[in-house]
Amino acid sequence: MNYLQVLQLAAPEAALAITVLMVLAVDLIALRGKSVARRFGTGAMVSIVGCLMAAVFTFTHYGTTDPLHGLLVVDPLTNFLKVVLLILTIFTVLISASGKFTEHVGEYLALVLLATIGLMFLVSAEDILMIFISLELASLSLYILTAFNKHNAKSSEAALKYFLFGGMSAAFLLFGLSLLYGLSGSTNLSQIAAGLAGRGLDPLLLVAIVTTVIGFGFKVAAVPFHLWAPDAYEGAPTPSAAFIASGSKVASFYILAKILTMGFAGAEGSAVWQGYVSGWTPVITVVAALSMVLGNLTAIVQSSVKRLLAYSAIAHAGYMLLGVLANTPSSRSALLFYVITYALTVLGAFGVVTVVEAATGGDAISNFAGLSRRAPGLSLCLLVFLLSLAGIPPLAGFIGKFFLFSAAVGADAEHLGLLWLVVLAIVMSAVSFYYYLQVLKQAWVLDAAENAPAIKVPPVTMVALVLLAVLVILLGCAPGLLTRHL
Amino acid sequence: MTWIAQNLWLIPVLPLAASGVIAVNKQRQHKLAATLAIGSMVLAFLLSLCAFSATLIHHGESGVFREVAGFNWLQFGGQWLQLGWVLDPLTAIMLVMVSFVSLLIFIFSVGYMAHDENFTRFFCFMSLFAAAMLGVVIANNLLLFFVCWEIVGLTSYLLIGFWYHKPSAAAAAKKAFITTRIGDLGLLLGMVWLYAETGTLNFYADGHGCLESSALTAMVTHMTAAGMAVSTAIGLLIFLGAVGKSGQLPLHVWLPDAMEGPTPVSALIHAATMVAAGVFLVARVYPLMSAHPEGAAAETAALQVVTWVGALTAIFAASVAVAQTDIKRILAYSTVSQLGYMMLGLGVGGVAVGMFHLITHAFFKALLFLGSGSVIHGCHEEQDVRKMGGLKKFMPVTFATYAIGMLALAGFPLFFSGFWSKDEILHAAHGWPVSHIPFFLGCAGALLTAFYMTRQVALVFFGEYRSSGRQSAHSSSKTDKHEKSAPTHVGGYDGKGEPHESPAVMIVPLVILAVFAILLGFVGTPAWPWFDGFLNGEPAGFNFSKLTESGTLGLMLASAGFVFTGLGLGWWLYGKRQRKTAEEPDVLQVAQPAVFRLLENKYFVDEIYDATGVRFNAWAAQACDFLDRWIWGGVVMLVTWVTLGLSSLYRFTDEFVVDLGFDTGCETLREGGGEMSRWQNGRVQTYLRVIGVALVVLVLFLIWGRKT
Repeated sequence: MNYLQVLQLAAPEAALAITVLMVLAVDLIALRGKSVARRFGTGAMVSIVGCLMAAVFTFTHYGTTDPLHGLLVVDPLTNFLKVVLLILTIFTVLISASGKFTEHVGEYLALVLLATIGLMFLVSAEDILMIFISLELASLSLYILTAFNKHNAKSSEAALKYFLFGGMSAAFLLFGLSLLYGLSGSTNLSQIAAGLAGRGLDPLLLVAIVTTVIGFGFKVAAVPFHLWAPDAYEGAPTPSAAFIASGSKVASFYILAKILTMGFAGAEGSAVWQGYVSGWTPVITVVAALSMVLGNLTAIVQSSVKRLLAYSAIAHAGYMLLGVLANTPSSRSALLFYVITYALTVLGAFGVVTVVEAATGGDAISNFAGLSRRAPGLSLCLLVFLLSLAGIPPLAGFIGKFFLFSAAVGADAEHLGLLWLVVLAIVMSAVSFYYYLQVLKQAWVLDAAENAPAIKVPPVTMVALVLLAVLVILLGCAPGLLTRHL
Repeated sequence: MTWIAQNLWLIPVLPLAASGVIAVNKQRQHKLAATLAIGSMVLAFLLSLCAFSATLIHHGESGVFREVAGFNWLQFGGQWLQLGWVLDPLTAIMLVMVSFVSLLIFIFSVGYMAHDENFTRFFCFMSLFAAAMLGVVIANNLLLFFVCWEIVGLTSYLLIGFWYHKPSAAAAAKKAFITTRIGDLGLLLGMVWLYAETGTLNFYADGHGCLESSALTAMVTHMTAAGMAVSTAIGLLIFLGAVGKSGQLPLHVWLPDAMEGPTPVSALIHAATMVAAGVFLVARVYPLMSAHPEGAAAETAALQVVTWVGALTAIFAASVAVAQTDIKRILAYSTVSQLGYMMLGLGVGGVAVGMFHLITHAFFKALLFLGSGSVIHGCHEEQDVRKMGGLKKFMPVTFATYAIGMLALAGFPLFFSGFWSKDEILHAAHGWPVSHIPFFLGCAGALLTAFYMTRQVALVFFGEYRSSGRQSAHSSSKTDKHEKSAPTHVGGYDGKGEPHESPAVMIVPLVILAVFAILLGFVGTPAWPWFDGFLNGEPAGFNFSKLTESGTLGLMLASAGFVFTGLGLGWWLYGKRQRKTAEEPDVLQVAQPAVFRLLENKYFVDEIYDATGVRFNAWAAQACDFLDRWIWGGVVMLVTWVTLGLSSLYRFTDEFVVDLGFDTGCETLREGGGEMSRWQNGRVQTYLRVIGVALVVLVLFLIWGRKT
C-alpha cells in the first residue's frame, strides 16, 4: 500500500482540496478589486466545477476497498453519500452566490468546500481517530462559516456559542473515544466491538456510550444537545445555516448510526415498552423522544422563520433517531432516505428564506406576508418545501416518514415495542403542521403590506430552488430512484 | 366506388362551414355573409350535380344504383355506432332539388333581407338549415338522419322566430318546435325499436342494413302484441315523425303559423324543403313500410295509414285555404294540402309517385312563396289579399311568374308540372285496391286547389288596388313586423303608397323557378315515365300510346275537368265581380256564413287543441306546481328543518365538547412550547451546564437500567 494508491482512493477529496486552493487563488489573484457579485459568480463556478470533478472521481471505484484498516473505507454506499454531499454543496454554493453578507468570497467558498471534505472523509471512516479528525475539520469550518456575517453581531455571538458548545461536546466525545480505546485496545470500530464482546456492561462503557451520543447529539442537534442550534441558525448567514442543516446532518447521522451499530454492537440494550435494558438504544430513545416533543412544541411559538426551522430540525432529528434505534438494514436505508430528502428540502427552505431576508430585511414570519403575490414562483417552492417537511403526500417528506416509521415498527414487530415512540412521532408531526402552515398562511393567505413591490429572485437561486422543488416532488413520487442506492 | 360517393359529405359540410364562419364574423359583414352562404351553396349545388350525373351514368345498370360510405363513430359495448351516407337516385334527385332551390332562395333573400339589421344572422341560420337538410338527404343511417332532422327543426325554430321581438313570431316558433317534437318522439321510439330489432341503424350496408331484405324478412315475421308485424309498428312510429315535420293531420297546426317568419324562410323551409323532409323520410324507409310477408297483400297497414292521413290532410287543408285572407296563409294551407297529396302518392303508388310530386311542388311552391314575398315587399309589407288588387299592372313580372306557379299548383292540364305529378297520384289512387275514397278525396282536393288559387290570384292581381298609402300599409296588425328592420324598401318608396315591382335580384330567381315549374312535369308523363324509372332503376322509353290508353286518358280528362271547374268557379265568384273595398264580406261568407266561419277558423282545430291538450297541459302544470310547492316542497322543508336541528346539535357538541377539549389541548401545547423556549435563555454557560447534567443523568439512567 503506497501513498499513490491512497491518493487514488481519496481522489474526490483531493480534487476538492485542489479546488479549495484554486478558489482562493482565483479570488485573490484574478478577481482583485472586482464586485462581490462578480467574485461570487466566478468563485461559485470554480467550486461547482470542482464538486462535479470530485463527483466524477467517486465513480472510479466500484466494490469495497479498505486498504488502511478503517481509515478510508470506499464502497458503493459511501461513494453515493459523497455524491449526495457534493450535490448539497453545489446547491449551497448556488444559494450563496447572490449573497451580500461578506466580501471574503474566496474564504467563504473555500470553507464550504473544506467542510465538505471533512464530511466526505467522515462518511468513509471506520476508525475512531479518523472519525474525530474529519469531524473536527468539518466542525471548525462550520464554526467559521457561522461567523461569516461580520456586519451582524448576532453572527459572531452565534458562532462563539456554537464553537464553545461544539468544543465542549468534542471534548466529551474525545473522552468517550479514549475510554473505548482503553476498553478494547483498538481504534477500529469492528475491532472495538470484538474487544468489548463478552465483557458485559462496564460502567466505563456506559460513560463511553453517553459521551459518544453527546458528541454526535451535538452534531445532529438532538435534545438536550441542541441548545446551540436555534442561536446558530438564526445568527449565521442563511446559506451557512442551510449547509449546517443539510450536508452536516447527512454525514453525522450516517456516522452516528455506524458507530452505534458497529462499534457498540452487543451493547444495544432495549428500549421497548416495559422491557428496558441498559445499552445505547435507551439513551437514543430518550434523546429522540425529547427531541420530537421539545422541537415541535418550541417551534410553535417562534416568530423567526430561521429559528422555526432550527426547532423543526431538532424535531426531525428526533424522527431520524428512530431509524438509528430500529437498527435493521431497512431502517438504515429509511434513515438515509429521510436524511437525504430532508437535507434537500431544508436547503430549499433556507434558500427561500435567503431571498426573503434579502428583500425584506428580516426573517420574521410576518415578513412572508403576501409572498404569493410578490413572488409567486418562490412561494410555490416554499409551499413544496414546507409541505414536504410537514410530511404531505406526494412529497418526499411523506414517503420518508412512512419508510422511517414503518421500519421502526417493523424492527420489533412481534412486541410492537417501538410503537409507542412511533405514535409519539406521529402525534408530534401532527403538531408540526401548525407551525409550517403558519408560514404558508402568511405567504398565501394574508396580504402584503401596501405598496410592497414584487420580489426579484436572483435567477441562479431560482433555478436552484426549482431544481430542489422538482427533486422533492420527484423523490416523493418515485422514491425508488433513491432507495435503490441505499 | 365513385369519387363523388366517397366525398358526398362535402355537400352538407360546405354550408355548415359557411354558417360557422358567418357566425363568428361581425354583424356588419353583410357582403361577406351573403357571399359565403351563396358561394357554399353554389359549390354544394355543383357537387350535387356531380352526384346526380354519377347516378345518371350508372342508371340502367342492373337494379338501383347505390353506393354507401361511412365510418365508425363511437363504440358502446361490443358494438360500433356507424355514421354514413348513401348515394342513390333518391338522394341525388333530392340533393339537386334542395341545393338548387336553396341557392335561388338565398339569392332572393339578398334582396328581400337587404335592410334587415340581422342580415348576417339570417344567412347564418339559412346556411345551417341548408347544411342540415342536405345532411338529412344523404344520411345512410337513421341516427345521422335524426341528428340532421333535429338540426333542421332547430333552425326552423330559429328562423320562424327570426323577428322574435314580435310576440306572434316567438309564439309561432315555439309552436312549431313543440308540435314537431311530438312527432319526433315517435321517430325516436321507432329508431330505438329498429335498433333493438336489427342491431343496426344503417339503411344500406351490403345486405346488412335495416332496409335490406334479411332484416326486413326478420321484422315481417316477428309479430308484436297487437298482431302487427314489427316492421309495420316501427314504420308507423317513424311515420309519426313525418306527420309532425310535414304538417299532416293532426299535427299540421304549426305550419300556417310558421308563416310569421321572413318570406324566404317560408319558401325554403315551409314549402320546398323542410316539410318535404317528412315525405322524404317515408320515401327513404319505404322498404320498411311496404315490407310484407310472402303472399300477403302489398298494401300494408303502415301504407294504408299513410294513404288515409295524406288524403284527409289534402282535402282538409284545401278547404281551409278557401277561406283565408292572408296571402301566405293561403299558400301555407295549400302546402299542407299538397304534402297530403305526396303522402297519398307514397301510400298508393310508391316512392316515385310521391317523390315526383315533391320535386315539382318544391319548385312551384317556392316560386309562389317568393312571388308572394315580392308582392308583400311591393305592397309595403301588406299581407291581406283583400287590401291588394290590380297588382297586374304594377308588378308585371311577378304577376306572370306567379300565374305560372298558380297554374302549376292548380294542375292546369298538359303544360304545367303540377298537372302531371298530381295526375300520377290520382291515377295511382284510382287503382288502389283497398278503397276508392282516397281517390274521391283527392279529386275534391284538386277542385278546391284550383278554386282557392284562382280566388287568390283574382284578389291580388286583378281589379283595382284597394289600399292606399302608407297609412293602410301599417294599419294591419300583421304588418308591423318591420318597424325597425325595414323602414324603406329596395324599390324606393314612391310617396304615393303605390305598389312597385321588386328588384332584379328578387325577380331573376322567380323567372328561373317559373321555367322549372313548367318544364319539370315532362320528366314524368305517362308517355315518358323517366322519373319513375330513374328512381326504380329501370330504363324508361317514349310511348305516346300510353297517353291515350282508356284508363289514363279518362282520368286525365276527369282531373282536367275538376281543375277547370275550380278555375271557372273561382273566376266567376272573385274575378268577374271584384270586391270594391277591403272591408266587404267574402262572397262565400254571404252565401254560407256557417260553413265559411268554420273554414275561416280552420275547423277550430287550434281552439280544440287549446281546449284539450293545452288546457290539460296547463292543468297538469298547475297540479305539478301544487305538488312541487306543497307536497315535495313540504317534504324538503321538513328534511331541511330536521337537518338544521341536527346540525345545530352537532354544532353544539362541536363547539362546547370537541372544540373545547381540542382548544385546551392546543393551548397546553402552545404554553408548553412557550415554557420550553424559555429554557433557551441564550446564555452559553447554561448550555454547557446542560451537557454536563445530561451526561450525569444519562449515565445514571443506564446504570439503573443495568441493575434491574
